[in-house]
Amino acid sequence: MSSQRTALYDEHVQAGAKMVDFAGWDMPIQYKNLKEEVKAVRENVGVFDVSHMGEFFVEGKDALRFVDYLVTNDIKGSALKKAIYSPLCREDGTIIDDLIVYKLSETKLMICVNAANITKDFEWMQSKLEGFDCSLTNRSSDFSLLAIQGPKTFEVLKSIDLEFSIEDIEYYSIQEGLAGDTPVLLARTGYTGEDGFEVFGPHDYIKRLWTKLMDAGVAPCGLGSRDVLRLEVCYPLYGHELNDEVTPLDCGLKWTVKMNKEAFIGKSFLEGYDPQYRLIKLSLDKGIPREGYLVESNDQVIGKITSGTMSVALSKGIAIARVDKKLYSSENLINVDIRGKKYPANIQTKAFVNGGHK
Amino acid sequence: MAKIIDGLRYTEDHEWISLEGDIATIGITDFAQSSLGDIVFVELPEEGTNLEAAGSFGVVESIKSVSDLYTPIAGDVTEKNSTVEDTPESINEDAYSSWLIKMKISDIAAVESLMDAKAYEEYCEQNA
Repeated sequence: MSSQRTALYDEHVQAGAKMVDFAGWDMPIQYKNLKEEVKAVRENVGVFDVSHMGEFFVEGKDALRFVDYLVTNDIKGSALKKAIYSPLCREDGTIIDDLIVYKLSETKLMICVNAANITKDFEWMQSKLEGFDCSLTNRSSDFSLLAIQGPKTFEVLKSIDLEFSIEDIEYYSIQEGLAGDTPVLLARTGYTGEDGFEVFGPHDYIKRLWTKLMDAGVAPCGLGSRDVLRLEVCYPLYGHELNDEVTPLDCGLKWTVKMNKEAFIGKSFLEGYDPQYRLIKLSLDKGIPREGYLVESNDQVIGKITSGTMSVALSKGIAIARVDKKLYSSENLINVDIRGKKYPANIQTKAFVNGGHK
Repeated sequence: MAKIIDGLRYTEDHEWISLEGDIATIGITDFAQSSLGDIVFVELPEEGTNLEAAGSFGVVESIKSVSDLYTPIAGDVTEKNSTVEDTPESINEDAYSSWLIKMKISDIAAVESLMDAKAYEEYCEQNA
């Protein structure tokens, strides 16, 4: 099967992007220089085409109650116009996906999901719809999505003609605009740890916006730099830190599981669950930890690296690893096995980089 | 256009070899460093290591990728370039002065049979 292309495919190729297959999409992994892309986002502003991600809409009288029941985080209790990060779990607590719910109104919510999980999530949600008076639609193909990220994002967005006025909204909130007669959604969210906006809009609008951003000198950034940026601030990624076999309690996501909610899928299981794993953050003085490398303690394998890279900010190897909770102790020396050699790991509790988001 | 130097021999894995007597000096080409992007880590074998042809003798890593280095000809490592291990970015600056290892080899004819500059240039064009 040939890969799908976003509306900006030609623009990426023209900008010199190296294209790779990602979840069935032909996506830019990097443009000219990955390190420069990471720096642009930390210090200035960069833009990512993330149109491959999925957008679902839940509308109707029971929309809020339905979404609140589907996910583990508290949607009902959140303020209107808020964005809420949450895992989506099965009855046995395992994670189907992690997503962002945008609470547009009491009767209309948008859910942004990972590209690789669009079909899986949609089928799951559809199967749970019975008994709720609301509709669920997959509108992924109607929307292109740009993530404009970095400390100068708001400044740049104010300086260009967005075709509607924007407000200085809070971090993790959303506003709806009208470009001509087409609705555009502008959320102060992202996946880099920096301040920034994600703009959901029709393909033509997003193409015009891309050109305006390029003209304003915003750096085009690929999925490679996006991965470094999210890993530096320790945001989990589905398929790596999170997957079909673990629960949110195995991945440091207890804060997203609201046991005081009346009902949600997975609640009764998670209430009595004793986590089997935990995620740890580690850096190496020498060598670069990569996904799949084994993590050892007392000559025993205790887990595996789930994501690893060279950090651009720290100029050293950083990683997140999933380890067996019973075998891990912060008292013990931890090594990463790289091509048969043991490299001592520095374990840390805080993120490798503090993003500048508000 | 990637830089290619006359008088060197080249492999399909984008390594270059120069020969002085029975000592072969090996590095990666400008084409290779440019496709890899910023090189941030290099791991090389110790002096005295016996290497078999086509085996992996080390790795070069960019921020997001790990690439094996392949031994073009069997031999014994006589020296590794520790400077490159300490400053991997020097390969991006000049791939031909940043050699990786020197090897003592016995099969000199095997070097002669590798691509010359012209053949490698054509190979790069086909694989670009």
